[in-house]
Amino acid sequence: MKMKRIIALAASMVLMASLAGCGSTSSASAAKSSGSSDSSSDGDPIKVGVLFSATGSTAINEKTMTNACIMAFDEINAAGGINGRKIEYIHEDYASDPAKCTEKIKKLIEQDEVVATVGCCTSASRQATLTTLKDDDSLLIYPTYTEGEEIHPNVIYVGAMPNQQAVDFIPYLLQNIGKKVFLVGSDYVFPKTCNKEAKALIEQNGGEVVGEEYAPLGQTDFSTICNKIKQSGADLVYSTVVGESNVSFYKDYKQYGLNPETCPICTISIEESVLQAIGTEYSEGNYASMPYFSSLDAPASKEFVDKYNKKFNDGTVVTVLTESAYSSCYLLAEALKKVDDPTDTDALIKAFNGLEFDAPQGKIKVDDYNHCTWVYSRFAKIHDGKFDIIYSSDKAIRPEPWPAVLYPQYKDTNFMPDWDDPICYPQ
Amino acid sequence: MLTFISQIINGLNQSAVLLIATLGLLIIFGLMNVINMAHGEMIMVGAFVTYIATSILNIPFLIALVLSFVVTALFGALTEVTIIKKLYSKPTETILATYALSIILKEIARIIWPLSQNVNMPFPGTISLGGVIVPRYNIFVVIMAILLLTFTIIFFRFTKFGKKIGAITQNRQMTECLGIKTSTIDTLTFAYGAGLAGIAGCILAPTTGVSYDMGSTYLTDSFMTVVVGGVQSLIGAAFSSTIIGEGRTVLAGVSNDTWAKIMIFLAVIILIRFKPEGLFAKERR
Repeated sequence: MKMKRIIALAASMVLMASLAGCGSTSSASAAKSSGSSDSSSDGDPIKVGVLFSATGSTAINEKTMTNACIMAFDEINAAGGINGRKIEYIHEDYASDPAKCTEKIKKLIEQDEVVATVGCCTSASRQATLTTLKDDDSLLIYPTYTEGEEIHPNVIYVGAMPNQQAVDFIPYLLQNIGKKVFLVGSDYVFPKTCNKEAKALIEQNGGEVVGEEYAPLGQTDFSTICNKIKQSGADLVYSTVVGESNVSFYKDYKQYGLNPETCPICTISIEESVLQAIGTEYSEGNYASMPYFSSLDAPASKEFVDKYNKKFNDGTVVTVLTESAYSSCYLLAEALKKVDDPTDTDALIKAFNGLEFDAPQGKIKVDDYNHCTWVYSRFAKIHDGKFDIIYSSDKAIRPEPWPAVLYPQYKDTNFMPDWDDPICYPQ
Repeated sequence: MLTFISQIINGLNQSAVLLIATLGLLIIFGLMNVINMAHGEMIMVGAFVTYIATSILNIPFLIALVLSFVVTALFGALTEVTIIKKLYSKPTETILATYALSIILKEIARIIWPLSQNVNMPFPGTISLGGVIVPRYNIFVVIMAILLLTFTIIFFRFTKFGKKIGAITQNRQMTECLGIKTSTIDTLTFAYGAGLAGIAGCILAPTTGVSYDMGSTYLTDSFMTVVVGGVQSLIGAAFSSTIIGEGRTVLAGVSNDTWAKIMIFLAVIILIRFKPEGLFAKERR
């Protein structure tokens, strides 16, 4: 009898632990770091929220985004702030847990009264903030590259939309590597939505999809998928596998006898942070597409990477997410400079339309209408554990939240439905 | 057909990984009735020991394997003496204490290594068995699983130490009356269980990379394997890990990985409903 009770107890604990797995750690006291609190004579500081996890499973990416925000706001303050007023940033940790994200954005807006928040790293956490943003009429600047098919009036999307990563990349791959493509992704919304567009682009460019497989999030065994790739006779693998699973995926890929020389993995979802864990030998010869790589050979980029490494010696590395979070802060500062009253959210959102910034990746621009950002398209071949950039668009590419190749009906309306259309964002 | 055979062979690898990850938990949970929520993090400790040994100190992998056992076992002994010893016969408190320990370990690891780290593949390359390509490392993993299982069975069934543990499991007070120091045996058993988790971490490290987050994946899988196999049965654990590992791989071959996972979990729930003591339950007095 006793044994049964213990098993029941154990089973329930394990279930609880796996549920809490994503954000099992809660930091009771949120780290409150305020940039120079001694307010200048010109007025009170403008409060801005920074909402990234410091603990839990996605902290691996979000730590570097928090760092980027600290760096950007410190620089902005050092350069005189916003029309004489300093920025005071308040960092909250949502512990990689979307439910906690809702709680924290509420706290930032209602208690701390921030004028806007830079934050969230995953679609799940972003979507957890939407209702609050609308009810409290506040603004979120979202830096991560994302799957699109959502435009919320209270969000500015600074990361790449899928078209910006795919429209140049896929034709290049089909022309230079081969026509038969195998799609692999993690089993959730980002890979599935991106692959929808990828399939359309592959067919449009005369390629052929020979297989499509999804692995559960956190999967560490890719033997079956590798077997299916082998059977399909694919020329290349188009990957949207995210996070740490990539380590097992790249290692299994070569371990099970697939060769990146003849059939490379071409991904739109790995960053420098995972690259070192894969190891040089297993990443060699594969391709990746991103608006920014920290290996970018441009003065602004080099200066950015140097500054970051000098300021934060904490084991994190600069990735596209770092760059994008940094740009998000600067875009927000520029928008704040344009408005008379920072607490007027409507005016602040309008100030973003057409806003430009010389980011480390080059000149980026928030779209005049659809709240997404014009970013560059770049791809790289991985060599010696680094991204060797082989293509760079000459200027930033237009974002298509509803990609034209799938939704021709929105082509003339800035690639999105009407603002009051219910499909515009999850209600 | 060839694919099917290769799926079965790949399944063996997954079963072996599962078995290695489970053994440590089985000893601590099955023999000592301690629900060790920090089992996953002990795997992580073993993996980080391997990372430090092979990638930083350039020690050969096989020595790192021994090191990961020793370090994690010492850590286990320390845990037992300082935390667990006070909490026997209080399962709820043990769960809370070990859960807290798991969070502490995870966050310490995250502060030191925010990014996941690479451990070089010690036996790279593949061999071809009649058209089926098998990675060399998989063969090593399967052999290790069999060795560890055999050694553990011999250790617990045929040595004096093992028999003492058996006696304690059956009747602690009576064993104490017979003049056996149960407290020392408890510490050593816990240390051995933790050491096995360390070995699991070492073996996983080259394929999955080493990160602060790696433990949680294996905690659920190991508990599931233990419960299916029967809480005290080493042979049961071997069977259940083979069934789950093979089941998952073969099902993934005919459908996909997500469905395979769902179906295996469903099968486990049904099994537990009708056979809550697991496949290989020991008679208990």
